[in-house]
Amino acid sequence: MNAIETRNLSKSYRLQGSEPPTMFGKLNRVFRREKPKLLWALSDVSFDVRQGETIGVIGPNGSGKSSLLSLIAGTTAPTSGTVTANGRISSLLELGAGFHSELTGRENIFLNGAILGIPKAILRERFDSIVDFAGIREFLDMPVKFYSSGMYVRLGFAIAVEMDPNILLIDEVLAVGDTAFQIKCLARIRDFQRRGKTLVLVSHALQTVEEFCDRVFLIHKGKLVAEGRPAEVIFKYLKSYMGEGGGLHAVEYGNRDIEITDVKFINPSGGETGTFTTGEAFTAEVSYNARVRVDRPVFGFAVKTGNGFYVFGSNTQIAGYKLDSIEGQGVIRLKINPLTLMQGNFFLSLSVHSWDHSVQYHRQEDWYPFVVKNPTREPGIFRLNSEWDLVSKD
Amino acid sequence: MSIPADILAHRELLANLVMRNLKSRYKDSVLGFLWSILTPLFMALIYMVFLRILARGVPMTEILIGVFAWQFMVQCVFNGLTCITDNGNLIKKVSFPRVILPLATTISNLINFLLTLVVQFPLVAVLLGLHGQHINLAALAVPAVIFVHFFFCFGIVLFLSCSNVYFRDLEHLVNVLVTAFFFITPVMYSYAMVEQIAVAYNLPVLAQVYMANPMAVIISAYRALILPDAVFPLGMGTYAGAAIALVFVFPAYRLFKKLQSNFSDMF
Repeated sequence: MNAIETRNLSKSYRLQGSEPPTMFGKLNRVFRREKPKLLWALSDVSFDVRQGETIGVIGPNGSGKSSLLSLIAGTTAPTSGTVTANGRISSLLELGAGFHSELTGRENIFLNGAILGIPKAILRERFDSIVDFAGIREFLDMPVKFYSSGMYVRLGFAIAVEMDPNILLIDEVLAVGDTAFQIKCLARIRDFQRRGKTLVLVSHALQTVEEFCDRVFLIHKGKLVAEGRPAEVIFKYLKSYMGEGGGLHAVEYGNRDIEITDVKFINPSGGETGTFTTGEAFTAEVSYNARVRVDRPVFGFAVKTGNGFYVFGSNTQIAGYKLDSIEGQGVIRLKINPLTLMQGNFFLSLSVHSWDHSVQYHRQEDWYPFVVKNPTREPGIFRLNSEWDLVSKD
Repeated sequence: MSIPADILAHRELLANLVMRNLKSRYKDSVLGFLWSILTPLFMALIYMVFLRILARGVPMTEILIGVFAWQFMVQCVFNGLTCITDNGNLIKKVSFPRVILPLATTISNLINFLLTLVVQFPLVAVLLGLHGQHINLAALAVPAVIFVHFFFCFGIVLFLSCSNVYFRDLEHLVNVLVTAFFFITPVMYSYAMVEQIAVAYNLPVLAQVYMANPMAVIISAYRALILPDAVFPLGMGTYAGAAIALVFVFPAYRLFKKLQSNFSDMF
């Protein structure tokens, strides 16, 4: 049985701002006979989600992912088409939405629980575990407006995980909170999957999508442009759509005497990919075109995390790999083996410059996105080769 | 799902929202719930003194009943206006029958009103006692009037809450309209005065038209049931006013239902 079905689902919004909801604004529009400007957040989207499936929804900012979740959740109505959901839906859209700032933590547990549709009996029974999970016992009878933002989110989450829906919608909740919180979130998602619930997950954390989802939908400008196995759809996204709608601060400069024309990421089995695995080989084949003969060029690369943290950089000069001279087209291969990055979204920057650094031929900052997934249970951002030895013992 | 079933399924949410409204209303104020009684009492005093100066005496008992009943409606008007717009975050993020919000607003104001009656009744009884009178036995029928009053208020809340989402000018407009409404409703004066004016201008139809105002019917009914010598005019006007009070909720709900599907797009 399908948990969610959509048929030709479309949603348009009136462009806010162009039309103030005031009398003057309305009259002005009537007199000038303007049609309201429409923005199609989703157009003609049809798909089925089977019971127990975990679906990832990815796409650039503003592509319509959140609108899709709102339509499934029923908080907004479709402009045309239909969406049907079988079973009770809950959404983990914004933690603490519906808290009343004047009420105490205790009162808000019951209020927010009621809003999320959790029966009062369950809230009573689980009250202590909610309070302990959120770590707010001393502040229980204090209005939540005096809570720190961390306490606020923790309490919101502690209540939300008590929901027991058939279909759970999650929108970027995993992006907030510290690592411990995220691990709790992910453990909860695993728990849901084990119990055969249907999950729809919107995330920019592509490695999470790759790790958790059975299928991935790629949405671009309101259209469902790809659907299928996570690795394939994520690769398509990285290749074709990432960076649209902001978020990617790519810069490019240089005199282009040597131009970087293409980069292909190659997985250990030789196929083109967008996803690498911690501990395996990373290979990038960089195609260039030297319009003039250049002596002793230097190729360089750098890797940054998705939020801009500079992880590592090096070049052929530092690595002691001398190139005599190049002219015309060619391919240079960059190999990192083993890849010691842990899971996450990363960007590869590339550059070609002269031996004495005086001329930049071509430089592409944060140009090529790739995803790393980590099959081990080790946390962290960088893998340190570690071993243990018991040296002495009584 | 039909409306009552829908509401029944979400009765815990409704109860929680009512509690939230009641608890948060007087949070951080020293006198708290006492304000629900002090405000109409002060207003009643002001009207009485002012009317004495104008040399038109209106019994304090009539003013008290009028002001307390009026307060219920006015609170509904102003809470109702913002009961959707103030909960934009909820509307956007959580799916539940939207009608719960206006209903919770009306119910919390009803509870507030019932609590003020606990003070109002003894006060009226004491004032009547000073003149050797006492409360009518017919006062037992007051719950029936409260019932009508509640449905009229619920209609107003439904109408205002959904309209205000699309037409924010309403908040300002309502301020003016409520003032006008106040003067055409027998709050600080009695229906007897309206009749006198109608007779003075030789326009008996004026009294009929006046009673087509649902609030005029509701307040006059409260007075006639509680007080020994208050007038309750029966006539076409009164029937019309009572009918409007009872059925206003239906078109208001239809409008609400039509507008609610796009609430979340407006925040």
